Amino acid sequence: MADKSNDPVALWQNMIGEMEKGFNAFANQAMGSPEFSKVVNQVGGATAGAQKQLSELMEKYLLSMNLPSRSQMVGMAERLQSIEGQLNEIKAMLHQMRGASASASSGYAPRPPRTKRPPPASGEPK
Amino acid sequence: MKPASAPDLAGFDLASIPERIQSEVQRAIQRSIKGVEYISTSGPSLGSTPKDILSVRGTMNLYHYRPIADEIYRVPILIVMATTNRGYILDMVPGQSFIEFLLKRGYDVYMLDWSAPKPEEKNLRMEDYVLDFIPDCIRSVQRDSGEHDVTVIGYCFGGVLSLLYGSIFAGGPMKNLICFTTPIDFRGMKLFQNFSDRRYFDVDRLVDSIGNVPPEMILSSFEMLRPASRAASQVQLWENIWNDEFVKSYRMFDRWATDTLPLAGEYFRSITKDLMWDNKLFSDTMTVGGRKADIANIKVPILHAVAEHDHIVPYEAAKPLIEKIGSTDKEEVILKGGHVSLVAGPNAIRRLWPKLDSWLCERST
Repeated sequence: MADKSNDPVALWQNMIGEMEKGFNAFANQAMGSPEFSKVVNQVGGATAGAQKQLSELMEKYLLSMNLPSRSQMVGMAERLQSIEGQLNEIKAMLHQMRGASASASSGYAPRPPRTKRPPPASGEPK
Repeated sequence: MKPASAPDLAGFDLASIPERIQSEVQRAIQRSIKGVEYISTSGPSLGSTPKDILSVRGTMNLYHYRPIADEIYRVPILIVMATTNRGYILDMVPGQSFIEFLLKRGYDVYMLDWSAPKPEEKNLRMEDYVLDFIPDCIRSVQRDSGEHDVTVIGYCFGGVLSLLYGSIFAGGPMKNLICFTTPIDFRGMKLFQNFSDRRYFDVDRLVDSIGNVPPEMILSSFEMLRPASRAASQVQLWENIWNDEFVKSYRMFDRWATDTLPLAGEYFRSITKDLMWDNKLFSDTMTVGGRKADIANIKVPILHAVAEHDHIVPYEAAKPLIEKIGSTDKEEVILKGGHVSLVAGPNAIRRLWPKLDSWLCERST
């Protein structure tokens, strides 16, 4: 069997693994600094601000084009969600009714009994 | 005269070189064929253990998995999934599914899984999760199973929510608590601490501007913890693309890892301020909806499983849980693996799952 330490493919894989570890360790050290946090959050904050302004602008634009605005779409989504919620409630009720009728009917396989005991000590997985 | 085995040159076995070249050429051909296959096909179907939906309310989904054993333990299990990720990490494919394992061992399993909160759910607060969603699911489990007692299993932040719930509803009906990689001392999550440094991170501005925190932001904050790992895993994929089992496993885990959920804005604000900044869970000052949540109130048996190489929840963040909880029947197990391999994949099948079964079976009657 070939010696792994002399196998070029194994050496390559090992090198990739070491590079990954080294880069992660280096990056973690850099990202642990307060300067990193400051820069990242400044950029992130600016992006979030720009996103907010853009969405306000888009809202005005859509209004002028006689297209539904985001808030109108959200309103519709809320109504749909409410309908979905009611459908799910009906489904859950049907499920419970089915469970109740199943337990009452002898032809339907009931849930297994809740009588299981732990295996004896000698049979327990180690 | 040539010796029986070819001489080594700088440590290389010359006789094996033609064999290696042939093997590498074959693999290169396989890579090209399988590479095309990879692009043109979808991954394995995940989360396919048969289940019924018991309740859906906005971001909250409660499932009941259909029992497969002839006889089950008396106490049902409710799994509370982390709010950042999908629950199918615990139900990958047959043979690698934690849910399937539990069902085969005779447990009755329910799962509280999360959908992406919609824009109009941006106002969901910590109290909606702890004082409404979890108690509602517990009641549904009690109603459906006909049992009063429930074992709760929380994974990562699902563990934090379970702890908060258990602290406030200390009188029951939670009978046992199992936490997987659950942080309580948020000072231990050093990089997340730095990303959310209160001097530079304006969480109010972020939440007020964008509402729900987008999944891309959550995913990139996870990936920043190990920035080289994604590129390295893609190199590994290319090297092993001829190996069907490797590719299947890669696709399962990659799909799950990138299938991150957004977080409701107000909930994220509370996580940042109460947990990341003020470390209230550790300092016993946490309140949820005006109700004190001190984990010393929890007296039920608890098992806390932590991973030796967890880069998301380092051991320093998870360690104080067992020290601080009020239970007398308490155990911490430190297992080999990382944040995800602790609960799913071959490592979990060998280590965590049997351990959990042997701990829980005698507490489930």
